[in-house]
Amino acid sequence: MGVRFGSAIAAVALLAAPGAAQVRPAPWQEDPFPSRYRPAPPDDMLLRGATVLDGAGGRIEGGDVLVRGGKIVAVGKALANPGVREVDAKGRWVTPGVIDVHTHNGTFVVPLTDIDREASDVAEVSSPNGADTWIETAVNPQDMGFDRGLMNGVTTMQILPGSTPIFAGRSVVVKPVRGATVWDMKVSGNAQGFKMACGENPKSWGADDDNEGPTSRQGVIAYMRQAFLDAQAYGRERAAGKMGRDLKKEALLGIIAGDIRVNLHCYRANDIASVLAVAKEFGFRIGAIHHATEAYKIPGLLRESGTCAAVWADWWGFKIEAQDAVRAEAPLLERAGVCVMMHSDSAADGQRLNITAAKAAAAGRRIGIETPPETMIKWTTSNPAKLLGLAGRVGTLKAGYQADLVLWSGDPFSIYTKADLVLIDGAVAWDRSKPPAAPVSDFELGRGGVR
Amino acid sequence: MIRTIAMLLALTATPAAAQTIAVTHAEAWTMESGEPVKDATIVIENGKIVSVTPGGGVPEGVRVIDARGKPVTPGLMNGATQVGLIETASADTRDQGSADERNAGFDPSRALNGNSTLVSLIRADGITRALIYPSPSRIPVFAGEPAIARFREGVDILGEREVAVYAVIGGGAWDRVGSRAQQWAVLRKALGDAKRAMAARDAGDGKKRDHRGPPPGRGRRAGEELIRGVIVGETPLAIHTNRESDIREAIRLASEFGIRVIIVEGAQAWRAAEQLAAAKIPVVLDPSTNLPGGFDELGARQDNAAILTRAGVKVAFGLAGGRIHSNYNAGMALREGAGIAVANGLSYAEALRAVTVNPLSIWSKGGGTLTAGADADLVVWDGDPLEPSTNVTAVIIEGRQLSARSRQDLLAERYKDVR
Repeated sequence: MGVRFGSAIAAVALLAAPGAAQVRPAPWQEDPFPSRYRPAPPDDMLLRGATVLDGAGGRIEGGDVLVRGGKIVAVGKALANPGVREVDAKGRWVTPGVIDVHTHNGTFVVPLTDIDREASDVAEVSSPNGADTWIETAVNPQDMGFDRGLMNGVTTMQILPGSTPIFAGRSVVVKPVRGATVWDMKVSGNAQGFKMACGENPKSWGADDDNEGPTSRQGVIAYMRQAFLDAQAYGRERAAGKMGRDLKKEALLGIIAGDIRVNLHCYRANDIASVLAVAKEFGFRIGAIHHATEAYKIPGLLRESGTCAAVWADWWGFKIEAQDAVRAEAPLLERAGVCVMMHSDSAADGQRLNITAAKAAAAGRRIGIETPPETMIKWTTSNPAKLLGLAGRVGTLKAGYQADLVLWSGDPFSIYTKADLVLIDGAVAWDRSKPPAAPVSDFELGRGGVR
Repeated sequence: MIRTIAMLLALTATPAAAQTIAVTHAEAWTMESGEPVKDATIVIENGKIVSVTPGGGVPEGVRVIDARGKPVTPGLMNGATQVGLIETASADTRDQGSADERNAGFDPSRALNGNSTLVSLIRADGITRALIYPSPSRIPVFAGEPAIARFREGVDILGEREVAVYAVIGGGAWDRVGSRAQQWAVLRKALGDAKRAMAARDAGDGKKRDHRGPPPGRGRRAGEELIRGVIVGETPLAIHTNRESDIREAIRLASEFGIRVIIVEGAQAWRAAEQLAAAKIPVVLDPSTNLPGGFDELGARQDNAAILTRAGVKVAFGLAGGRIHSNYNAGMALREGAGIAVANGLSYAEALRAVTVNPLSIWSKGGGTLTAGADADLVVWDGDPLEPSTNVTAVIIEGRQLSARSRQDLLAERYKDVR
C-alpha cells in the first residue's frame, strides 16, 4: 500500500503514458514505509479558566478548551460542559503542543558509544547525494529524547537526516508516543520533508581525502544545480519510457514538482541567497532555512521566496559560519514579516523551545522590539505546523483541530513552568501528577544507576 | 573652585579602575539570608562595597544607578567553563588543554584572552567570574591547574591562578591508560609519591617545612609540585568524574590521604549524596542535564542539585548546557540551569548561592556577597536573574560599571531596520 503525498498533477504531466485512463501517483509520492500510528483512546475533558494562547496569535484570559473524541471542540469563555471531566486550569496556561521541526532523535541516540563515532546513523555519507535515504529506516524509538520532549510539552517532532551530505534524504514526522518501531509514531498526511545542506558541513566532508564531494561553497552550489539538471533529464527519459527507477533522481524530481518540501541547513546570508537562487532556477520553493543564523540580514529574500526560517535563540560561535548569529533573530524576522519558528537540533534544547523563544524575545527587547506571548507561541506551534504541512490539523487551538495541547503549570515562557498535562490526539500522553512507575524507554528499564 | 578641586582630588585619588557609585532602589540579594533587602542603596567605592542600606541616602556627587526596585545580585560566577580559552571551532583559536607528551601540568591562566567575543557576551549575561578548567592532557589523569577569570574590561581577565589540581577520571576517548582502574592507580601513585617525598625530606633534615613555598617552578609540573599543596591541604584536588563507582572512589581517596576533593560534573553524585555530605566534598554540576552523553552519565537528572543540597552537600553550577552552551553561552546557560534546578526542587536562595557564594568558597577563599567590605562585583537586572527572559541593565566589576552590550547586540542593532 502506498500513501500519496500532495498533488498528483505534476506526476501526470511527467509520467502518464499517452492514453492512460487513471491518474497514478508519481513514484516519489509513494510511501514505502506507511504509518501504523493509532491515536490512544481519547480522554475527553474541559480545561477551565486558563490563560489560553491559541498558537495563531490569540489570547484569552480565563479561557476554556473543550476536547472530545481526539479533537478540539471549542475554545472560548464559559463553555457549557457536555458531561466530560473538568480540569480546573485557573492560574495555568494552555497552548498547542510544541512542534520541533529539527531533531535527530532516534539516530543520535544517547548514551553515545563507539558505534556512533565509527558509523553514525545521523546521515548516510558514502556520497554527497543521499537523496534515496529515508531517515525513518534508522530511527531507534527507544531514544530517551522522545520521552524527555514529551514530558516538556512536545507533541510533534520532525526527524531530519544530518547535514554532511548535500542531499541528505527524507525526513519523518512523529508523535513522541511509545512504540516498538518508528511507524507506531509516524504522522501521515503531512508534507513529505527532505533535508539539504550548504556551507561548512558538506564542503568539509568533501575536502577530506577519504571522501567524495565538492570542497568549497561554490562547489556545493554547482553540485546542487547539476544534480537537479540530471534529475530533469532523467524525468524526460523516464516519461518517454526509456529509463527504470532511480531513487535519488526521483526524490529530486519530487522537490522540483513541489511535492517534497526542502529543509535547508544553511547559516550565512550569502549561502542562503545562493540556494534560494537555485530553487528559483528550478522552480521550487524551499520550505525553511534551518539554523539560518544570518537570515536577519536578508529578511526580504526569505519573505519574497515564501521561505520560513527555523532558528535557535542562542547557538553561535561553535563554527566559523555561525559567528554572526544573534539572539534577537526571531523577533527581527517576525517584524520583517518572515515566517519564523524555533528549532532545537538537540534533544536537550528541544525540551525547552518555549524558553528559547523567551530568550529571543528578551534579546529583541534589548533593541526595542517587544514581542507578546501570543506572538512568541506561534514560533513553537502554528508556524512549524505550516512547514510540516500540518496547518489545519495541529499547532492551533481551534475547533476541529487535533487535540495536541499542553496544560502548563504557569507561563510557558518561564523557566519554572512545567507541563502538567500533555494531550496527543485528545489522549493524555503525559500527566505530571501521575509519573510512570517505570522508565518510559526500554533503554532505561532495569538499568542500575538510573533511578 | 574649591569644590572643583575637591572633586578633582576625589577623582585622582581614586584608582583608575574604580568609581564611586550608588545603586539605588535595589532589591538587593546580599546572600546573607534567603531574602533580599528591599529598596536598598548600595554604595561602592574603591572597588569595594561600602554599605547596603534599606532606603539609604546617596552621597553627593556620586554616579547613581537606579535599579527601579529590580533585583541586584552579586556578580554571578560560573563554576566550570572555558571562556577566555576559546574563540571558535578553529584549532588556532582554542587553548583548552596541553598536548605536551613530556610534562604534566597546564596552566590556562597564561592563555586567558579578555578580548574574546565570548567574554563580552558572558559579561552581558551578568557573569563576573568563572572557574576556567583545563581539558584532559596527554599525561593522564592530570589535566592541569584551573584558574579563576574575572571579566573586567581589557585583555587581562586573570583573577587567581592555580586554584586546584584538576584530574579527569572515567570512560572516554581521552583515556590513554586503558581503564579507569588504571586512572585511579595513577592518581594514587602521584599522591603517594608526593607524600613519601615530603616525608623523606622532612626526615632528612629533621625539621618540618612550610610546604607552601617558595616552591621552585610551582605550577610548571603540577603533577609533582602543586600536588604537594594537595597533600598539605592547601590546594584542592578537583576530580572531573560522573559514575557512582568513581565518585565513591573519590570519597575513599579523600579520606585515605586526608585531602580536599571537589567533584566536577558528577552526573551520578545524587546516588552518593549522604557520603559526599559526610566527607564534606562539594560538587560542581550542570543543573540542566537529564540525558546521558555516555554510559558514565546514566541517571543524569535535573534534581541532582536539590538532592545533594538537601543532604548537606555544597553545590555550585558549571558546565551548564552541555557541549555548545557551556562555553558559548556560559552566562545564559548558567542562569537557565539555575532556574531549572529551582523548577526541580532547589530553593531559590540555594540556586543563587550555587552561582555566587558557593563557587567562590569551593574554588577560592569566599566572597560573592553584597555586604560592606565585599568586592564590588554586582549586577542590576530587569527581572528575575534566573529567568532566561531577563536582561542585564548594569554590570559593575571591581567597582567599575562596564558595558553590558555584546557583539550580538551591535549586530542586531545594525540590521534592525532591514526589511
